[in-house]
Amino acid sequence: MTEDEFARLCDFLYRRTGMLFGEAKRYYVQRRLDERMAATGAATFAGYFARLHGGVGGEIEQFINAFTVNETYFYREEHQLQCLTRDLLAERLAGRPRGAAIRIWSVPCSTGEEPYSIAIWLLENWPPVDAHDVEIVGSDIDTEVLEAAKTGVFGRRALMRLTSDLIARYFDMVDDDHWRVLEDLRESVRFSPVNLVSSAQTRPYGRFDVIFCRNVLIYFDDASRRAAAENLYETLAPGGFICLGHSESMSRISPLFDVRRYADAIVYQRPVEDDRG
Amino acid sequence: MPLIRKNSPEPSRPPPGSDLDALTSLTRGSNDQRWMAARTLSDVEALGRALSTESDGRVREAIFNSLISVGGPGSVAAILPYLRADDAGLRTGALDALKAMPAEAAPRLAELLADTDPDVRLLACEVVRELPSAQATPLLCGLLEDEAEVNVCGAAIEALAEIAGPEALPALAHCAARFAHEPFLMFAITTATSRLGFAPTDKRV
Repeated sequence: MTEDEFARLCDFLYRRTGMLFGEAKRYYVQRRLDERMAATGAATFAGYFARLHGGVGGEIEQFINAFTVNETYFYREEHQLQCLTRDLLAERLAGRPRGAAIRIWSVPCSTGEEPYSIAIWLLENWPPVDAHDVEIVGSDIDTEVLEAAKTGVFGRRALMRLTSDLIARYFDMVDDDHWRVLEDLRESVRFSPVNLVSSAQTRPYGRFDVIFCRNVLIYFDDASRRAAAENLYETLAPGGFICLGHSESMSRISPLFDVRRYADAIVYQRPVEDDRG
Repeated sequence: MPLIRKNSPEPSRPPPGSDLDALTSLTRGSNDQRWMAARTLSDVEALGRALSTESDGRVREAIFNSLISVGGPGSVAAILPYLRADDAGLRTGALDALKAMPAEAAPRLAELLADTDPDVRLLACEVVRELPSAQATPLLCGLLEDEAEVNVCGAAIEALAEIAGPEALPALAHCAARFAHEPFLMFAITTATSRLGFAPTDKRV
């Protein structure tokens, strides 16, 4: 891949996803390009790029999927789940009628570990769960991982933080190394594709009480981060909360949110009355 | 299982926007209407004009984000006047927006670095910092040749320390010679020179 080809490819990827790859990531980009060229039988960069640009055979989606990072596990950053049930949900429900619905968005959700973790955590740790309608939505730009999430089969590594008791209660054993989320739980989480940088794609999701958006904004450049932050703001109900990854700070990205410090986590909140000057 | 099943009807969506035309909403709507209009519009001239009267921080942010998203010379031209704004929030917003689109701002940077207003030159150094080193270094070194304001030189030196290589050393040395009487600048130059991989034997650089 020549310098010019590398630049064209990175530009294409950036415009489609907001992910920015520079010279330092050239090897990473080259390896994924090689994989896709081999998979599509393209002999030259030009041939492959024409296919990609034209979206032939859904190649754009395949190409983007090759660039996303999808490894995660159940109960990751458990302190935020603690914060959810100790503080955030109570604040969201204060003053609302008994039985009010709660909407939670996990984005990006990868292969489903996070939204299923939220569901299990609520069932295990939030006594009022029976009194409320809780809608959990998992979204990702990578359509392949969404299919895997719907299937709900996980290996030993993904379940390493769960006790054997929890695994027995919420999973069926598939074989010695794989377990499948119970059908009822699978049916409780809705999975759908989204590009966080596109307001046309985020807006139809309506408004959530809590959004988990962990470890994705770090992959975006400044412009994409700002766009994603504004889209997340729009999809939060006034007073709603957003949880980022432990190394991320919304304060460095956008002035739209208030910082809230709880015993278990620092989260960001869309102000209830937003009239900041 | 008490959680909602995924085939349940979706909860209500946010209320639809008013029927006001987006351009009208941008200046005459409520805060929410102006915010939504700012997110929807791609008319960079209208967005730029709206910044001059907009006082709500959230709407301003949305206007800047739309200008970044549309991009191009028109967006840069719409943002640039606000580098001179008296309102610090607006000035910072303009700076952050330009920093988010450095490649598009690049063609205007030479003129900004030569602006008669030292504050504009100083802010331009911050935008230059976002460019690739090969583009940024000559611009900043060129500025250091004859820049008279200490603070502007300081901003350029700080940026060079972060992005440049040894090719910036002559410009730093020349600047040191011009400002030998300015301890603050001498300290900045010594630090930058050291960071660029040069261990000065002369403590005055």
